[in-house]
Amino acid sequence: MTTLLTPPNDTERAEAPAPLSRPAKRKFGRWVLFVVMVAVAVVMLYPFWVMIVTSLKSEAQFLSGGGFSWLSWKSLSATIPIGQEVLSSTIVCSASILIILLVGLPAGFAFSKLRFRTSTAVFLVIVSAMMVPLQAILMPEFVNVTRLGLTGGYAGAVLVYAALGTPFSVFLFTTYFRGVPDELIEAGIVDGLGYVGVMWRLVVPMAVPAIATVTVLQFIQIWDDLLVGLLFIQNTSERPITVGLAVLAAGRTTSIPALMAGSLISALPAMLVYLGFQRYLVKGLTMGIDR
Amino acid sequence: MSLISAPVPRVRRMTLRRRRQLAGFLFALPAIALVVGFIGVPIGQAVYYSFTQWNGLTSKWIGTSTWTQAFHNSNLWTALQNNALLLLAVPFALGLPLCIAALLHQRVAGWRIFRSIYFLPTAISWVVLGLVAERFFAYQGTLNSIIHALGLSSVTTNMLGYESTALSALGITFVFTMIGTNTMLFLTGLATLDPTLEEAARIDGASRWQIFRSITLPHLSRFIQLAFVMTVIALFSALFSLIFVMTGGGPGYATTTMEFLIYQTGFNQGDFGTAALYGLILFVLTGIVGVVQLRLIGSNE
Repeated sequence: MTTLLTPPNDTERAEAPAPLSRPAKRKFGRWVLFVVMVAVAVVMLYPFWVMIVTSLKSEAQFLSGGGFSWLSWKSLSATIPIGQEVLSSTIVCSASILIILLVGLPAGFAFSKLRFRTSTAVFLVIVSAMMVPLQAILMPEFVNVTRLGLTGGYAGAVLVYAALGTPFSVFLFTTYFRGVPDELIEAGIVDGLGYVGVMWRLVVPMAVPAIATVTVLQFIQIWDDLLVGLLFIQNTSERPITVGLAVLAAGRTTSIPALMAGSLISALPAMLVYLGFQRYLVKGLTMGIDR
Repeated sequence: MSLISAPVPRVRRMTLRRRRQLAGFLFALPAIALVVGFIGVPIGQAVYYSFTQWNGLTSKWIGTSTWTQAFHNSNLWTALQNNALLLLAVPFALGLPLCIAALLHQRVAGWRIFRSIYFLPTAISWVVLGLVAERFFAYQGTLNSIIHALGLSSVTTNMLGYESTALSALGITFVFTMIGTNTMLFLTGLATLDPTLEEAARIDGASRWQIFRSITLPHLSRFIQLAFVMTVIALFSALFSLIFVMTGGGPGYATTTMEFLIYQTGFNQGDFGTAALYGLILFVLTGIVGVVQLRLIGSNE
């Protein structure tokens, strides 16, 4: 393609009054571009730099400005119950995502292939629930979940996360399953698999990319969330890491180097997931617009 | 073939269709239950409780007086005003990512690495980004170091400490947190643009700016709309973490937005009824934006 297009470009260049200046200008332009990109990169990496540099100071060094110390890392578990908090986050994330998938996959299959009367209307209602922010229904939600006695363990938070994540997963799976040929499902039924069998053995294995998208998006969302964990997990000994950090930060008494060390640890899993599955994230974000 | 086989399996076919519909309903049921139970029912309850005096345990019907009281409460207007002022950050939250996406689209050496770097903060919790932002704006923070390094040692800021500047600091942080997501959206949009179009325009002698205005921007319009909706929704419903960590809604009520006011009214003041009412107002506000988004998605199907 480029070889086809270069000749006219060259003649144009030859006709220009200063033939040599144009490529030079272009090269200069590229350099400016590169410098700007490095500058943007510095800005975007700033949070990581702050976290790393600050965590490598003792509290006294942080207040005075200079110095280097492993102290806040060594005493981290004494300041923040980091192990327990990471464990809590992991439990809450896995359980919520599991429910979102177990509920979303059959629903997506139903709304795309096993349509029943009113299924379109029901689908639209579920999808529009995507737009309801938790804060809008926070008070009744909190009272309901508390009355059900679910704020004692992880169950309340897990169910709220699952409910909030379900509309998107239903939307994504429904759109995805629309591409599955009807003949495949009929063949499965004829072979006596039954609808459950058809779903788990034929349809779900085809949906691995969609499952990955939902998992990655929800993992980052839930791992990074504060509000649900803050209100729906009452035991401080079961707090997820994000909640633990936020509460300590809002208290304004914890040493900042320790908080930064904790922040780095909390950021790590989401970053790894993100770097590993970047394309699924992009796919999920542009779902419904880019097809 | 159809002549022979049609009459016989007709009965079976009907039941088969029935069975399929029943299976579909049962398959969808858990999702319906979860969404209705945890999202639908609370909306109804919020409407009911907005007419009551409610402390979370007992509620007393007091009719529309909660509403008149709420609208006479200056905190509500402050919060709405703060939300409205924060909307001023939206052009930046869209414009900067648009520029960054355009930069990345030039495919300079190492652009993939740059892309990953630019997206990286997207993975971090807004709690953590709020913590970092607090360090940035603090009295002994990075911002003042930069100002001093520029030789303006007489100027010292403490943006989060004053009512006049705290909201701006929050807005700047919000723009930063949105850069990754929106850049990602725009870059995806640019990737779907046919490169020969731009090439052809360049051959025809169009300047870079002309190409950007007449080809790239119109192509991106759908992506810009989507990014706009997502940014506004985030502005109304995702600032909680930032506010909680950076300012706690203060100083005074300077950084209290609607969502934070709901939390404060409910959990700090124990006035669940008014908080439920505020929730409804937020619901309507995001609902308006949501309808726009649904129409956007719908128009593509």
